[in-house]
Amino acid sequence: MKTRKRLGALLAQTAWVVAIGSGVPAAWAADPINIGMIAPTTGVMATVGQRQLATAQWWEGEVNGKGGIKGRPVRLIHCNDEANPEKAVSCVRDLLARGSVLLINSSVTGPIRATMPLIRNGPVMVTPSPNVMPEPSSYVFQTSPSDMDLTRALVEYLHRSKVDSIGVIAATDASGELGVNTVKTLLPASSIKFHLARIDLRATDASIQLAQVAKSDVRLIYSTYSGGGAATVVKSFNNLGLEQPLVVSYANLSDQFIALIRNDMPRRLLGLGLKGVVPELLADPAERERVAYFARAWQQAKGDSIDQLNLNALTLVDTIEAILRNGPDTADAAAVKAWLEKTPVRSFQTLRFSPQSHIGMNESHAAILEYKGGRWVPAPPVQ
Amino acid sequence: MNLFTQSIYSGLTSGAVYALLAMGLVIAFRTTRVVNLAHGESYAVAGLVIAMLDRAGLPLALALGSGVLIAMAYLWAMDRVLLRPRSSWPVASLILITLGMAFLTRGVLLVVAGVDPLSFPRLVAGPPLRWAGGILPRQALLLIVTSIVAAVAVAVFLGRTRFGRQLRATAEHPDAAQLMGVNVAATRAAAFLLAGGLGGLAAALLVPLVPVDFQTGLGMTLRGFIAAALAGMVPGAAVLCGFILGLFEAFVTSYGGALASDPVVFVVLIVAALWRSRSIRFEGRARA
Repeated sequence: MKTRKRLGALLAQTAWVVAIGSGVPAAWAADPINIGMIAPTTGVMATVGQRQLATAQWWEGEVNGKGGIKGRPVRLIHCNDEANPEKAVSCVRDLLARGSVLLINSSVTGPIRATMPLIRNGPVMVTPSPNVMPEPSSYVFQTSPSDMDLTRALVEYLHRSKVDSIGVIAATDASGELGVNTVKTLLPASSIKFHLARIDLRATDASIQLAQVAKSDVRLIYSTYSGGGAATVVKSFNNLGLEQPLVVSYANLSDQFIALIRNDMPRRLLGLGLKGVVPELLADPAERERVAYFARAWQQAKGDSIDQLNLNALTLVDTIEAILRNGPDTADAAAVKAWLEKTPVRSFQTLRFSPQSHIGMNESHAAILEYKGGRWVPAPPVQ
Repeated sequence: MNLFTQSIYSGLTSGAVYALLAMGLVIAFRTTRVVNLAHGESYAVAGLVIAMLDRAGLPLALALGSGVLIAMAYLWAMDRVLLRPRSSWPVASLILITLGMAFLTRGVLLVVAGVDPLSFPRLVAGPPLRWAGGILPRQALLLIVTSIVAAVAVAVFLGRTRFGRQLRATAEHPDAAQLMGVNVAATRAAAFLLAGGLGGLAAALLVPLVPVDFQTGLGMTLRGFIAAALAGMVPGAAVLCGFILGLFEAFVTSYGGALASDPVVFVVLIVAALWRSRSIRFEGRARA
């Protein structure tokens, strides 16, 4: 009898701990909808993963605070892959085993690619990495402009600035490899010369690479390197006292990155960004309002301003929410895929996938921005 | 910018750090016969402590002093608590303990300092120096000069002082040294304090140029160890090998590319290790 009582008490305590620990209020009668999220919250890409996870968690709280979706709470299950492909694969296995009906992958190129074969038959996975170009036959949807589109925006800016020679620094990882292929394809075709140097992700000094590319005819240097490690490039740039504008990659338009380099700010810091980072660049008033609402809500919840990483994550959770609210049953992955291919997703900029392309944005969504007076503004041409 | 000159400046800068770390590793090794795989953590601990104290508003001089002292205390405590009580254990087990300590330290630093790389202001301000087509930050010049001065000071200290002789005696035969009146415990403690001080000094000089994070330590140990191993664990030679390794790495990166850097450096390490083992096998004489 005593044993039964003890067992009952233990089960009750366990249920309570599970309910509290899950982040889903115990009062929900319906089962939660599990959304798996892979985000590197430690390691060299932590500046990217932490911000995106925080945004997704904010969304989880926002949705559940308004009664959930179709009467069911949303439960975000996070797995930290440390931007490591092997760990990312384990994460996906674990998240699927824990009943995730949709996946968010906020990691970087190598780990994202490593996870793609695991979802050959679904569920749908959304990712913001511009370096991932999913096959239309796959269940992967990419919510940013592609690396090619972002580089096209850079080329347009270079032409506008009458710059015909630049330096490029790229990492030696998969993201860097793709960046190199993109510039090799696009820049010569646009009559722009470039000097290229590669840098190891764990490098602590980039002065040799900068010396290799900062030739006398080079009027701008572009670092395709993402994550906190890119601070090494900025630091070395400052150590060498270089005068050219420095363009940082898409994933580095974040407050966290700016905090890392605040003592080493180049004379002109530019970035490959989304127009949503500077809402006045958005033509559609509804899109501007969506950014404004998100900025207010984020400020209220976290006490700081939004940056591009928040906006990247917003496109992910908006896609997930659109599927859950308006799409077919997530158990039918093929139906979800077909639905996403024909239904525009309203986020701060509208995402349009199709049966031919699983990339939701294009060149028109991107802009070259400059960090000035503590915020990102449209970049004036290079003098 | 002249790539050749810039490679020399970059190589000397990283070589200076490898030299300081290698020297610390060698000093600890010569008293315990243990390769301390947590040695680079003294660099990470000092760098992060200085950066955090600086952010908290402490005057930089005070933050620097505190960081170096904490790095010294860190290695001293590791020896006192983990290594010395187990000095009768096989060396391989003790090396594993130091590796465990390195990972433990990394975890603690992650919790205390967070994941972001941190830095603090330079000790010498002003525009970088431009010589022969290369650019050298003033802080890097300070690092190179300090490293050479520290190397000479340590070499003199070890070669010409009573402590140096005690250190060598302790390394050769701790029991015999004890019978001869050497305080082996105090000698070990001093060696680890000195090693921690060198790791802390390297951080104080390099972190303003290159940010440090919780994962930096093991990489620093590895580079310091390569220089120390190439030098056959001899303090003076370790300094020279530190600079040679830094220059070699810089030239491989400049002319072979970043992708070639690690493979080439490790091939050199393997070749050097084989060459040294041949020298040991034939007791330093040429093979007949």
